[in-house]
Amino acid sequence: MIAHAPILAIVVPLFAAFLTPVVSIVAKRFGVERARDWFVVGAAILMLLIVASMVPAVWRGEVLVYKLGGWSPPWGINLAVDGLNLLVALIIASVVSLIAIYSVVYMERDNGLEKYYTLLMLVTAGCMGVTLTGDVFNLFVFFEIMSISSYALVAFRRNWDSVEAGIKYMIIGSLGTSFILLSIALMYGLVGSLNIADLAGKIATIKATQPLPMIVPLMLTLFVVGFGIKIAMVPLHAWLPDAYQAAPSAISALLSGATATVGVYAMLRVSYMLFGALAIGTMFIILGLVTMVVGGLMALVQRDLKRLLAYSSISQMGYILLGVGFGTAMGIQGGLFHLLNNAIYKVLLFMCAGAIVYRVGTSNLDELGGLGKNMPITATLFVVGALAISGVPPLNGFASKWTIYVAGMEAGQPICTAIAVVMSALTLAYFLKAINLMFLGQRPEHLREVKEAPPLMLFPMLMLAAFCVVFGILPGLGIDLVRPAQSAVMNQLGYIGSVMGAG
Amino acid sequence: MEFGPGIWGPIVATAVMLLGVAIGYLLLSISRRYMVPKPSVEKLRTYACGEVLEPEEVHVESEQFYSPIRRVFKPFYRFVRPAHTGILSTYLLWVFVGFIMILIAIVVALR
Repeated sequence: MIAHAPILAIVVPLFAAFLTPVVSIVAKRFGVERARDWFVVGAAILMLLIVASMVPAVWRGEVLVYKLGGWSPPWGINLAVDGLNLLVALIIASVVSLIAIYSVVYMERDNGLEKYYTLLMLVTAGCMGVTLTGDVFNLFVFFEIMSISSYALVAFRRNWDSVEAGIKYMIIGSLGTSFILLSIALMYGLVGSLNIADLAGKIATIKATQPLPMIVPLMLTLFVVGFGIKIAMVPLHAWLPDAYQAAPSAISALLSGATATVGVYAMLRVSYMLFGALAIGTMFIILGLVTMVVGGLMALVQRDLKRLLAYSSISQMGYILLGVGFGTAMGIQGGLFHLLNNAIYKVLLFMCAGAIVYRVGTSNLDELGGLGKNMPITATLFVVGALAISGVPPLNGFASKWTIYVAGMEAGQPICTAIAVVMSALTLAYFLKAINLMFLGQRPEHLREVKEAPPLMLFPMLMLAAFCVVFGILPGLGIDLVRPAQSAVMNQLGYIGSVMGAG
Repeated sequence: MEFGPGIWGPIVATAVMLLGVAIGYLLLSISRRYMVPKPSVEKLRTYACGEVLEPEEVHVESEQFYSPIRRVFKPFYRFVRPAHTGILSTYLLWVFVGFIMILIAIVVALR
């Protein structure tokens, strides 16, 4: 493991964010503006290497506890890395690296790119901070860094739609983070601690008392709603379609692949590990089903590709909630595997949408057609992503959905499983509609000269498509990746013991 | 290689699918040896009511896809879809309603 890896994984993107404007000024002076873009790509890849260096130790079963300033938990701030947050950190670092490479060409026609890359690195630092911290107040602080940077990125293009979407996202998102802060304040007032492991032990003691103080479910509700807004769980999802449609496609990919993943992580960490509340699994199952159905049915009638993908993101969150809601080892494994797969194919699909917007200038399905002839590689990659998200074998979406279905049957929930299977068929239906309208049929005259996406945009898309195939054909690889995370979710006492014992 | 308690073998299944694709491709290429399509310009045009239609005019409206499914879920499309108004105050009301629902669910689950 690289020395100080847990803190470096946060510090690298944070410092990269502060250095980006300086690098930009220097690069402009020497006439090599691309140097700024590659500086950000380098920072993202360095962060990925740092996170990857923690894999061997964590997969051996260790919880890496990094004490800032040498202060032991629960007194000081600490970072605690177990199987769960390592998986999420790996997803974030990989997704951000690919998005940074994609942005080099995709964003070249925009101005103010030093702001774009600064915000991109700030979102990344926020995501990493939320993921790796062992302290609930720092979780809030990093969550705010991530959220506020996201609001600005959604409004980056400064046209009417993006500013409106950014403001909506900001107001609803701020309400969510206010709920989280309120819950943290109540929690601190109740037990006088902010360390997650320490809090988990103390809340478990309070939960054992009868009757249960009303403040405990209230605190949990505030957290679930706060994080539920971030993952766009129905009925807290309304901000998402506007935001994903209005943001640059690279940012839509970032929001669906990184920040939504962080939201699910935070939800799991707080619900299952901090509150030890596996009993609320039934609520997650119901919310998961509602989210899946509403997202799927709304996606079916969309006219805009990015809006269709946005509703599809909502629908896929339903599968993840369903899996983790079952509360069994296989259910949590399936939910986490789907979280990993969702990050892969959703980023791929948004990148394909971005490639179309880059070449054609619109994502309106009614203005497209016959592009399979002009953009064969993009079309193939979109089809791979679409089949993967629809759960068509032998791609990765099938592997994780199958795991969730098996978990559902084992948990005695055949009706929930049947609804999930039907919604999967519906997912295929609306993606076939998108494929038909964009790539098949007669090509309108004005699209005759459209060219294939540039190689630098195709490269990250090819990587993601390869992951879709590899995790589908070798699902054992994906299961091996998520198994330490599933063990961590189900081992609250182990986490408490490792962190508190580190003192 | 298999995973889970089911009978799904991803490598075998992939191999079978690839075999199916190969057989399909083979059949297609053999059939093209015997019958090469050589459509005239007139045959490639799209006619409707005696008029030649341009590619832009034969594009299927995205709204028209899956209208039977929309009929099956008529209540959803009548009540839930129009509720996505884009009006912020409505969305904030949803958050409030969601908060109450989740609070009730958690209180019931934890007691």
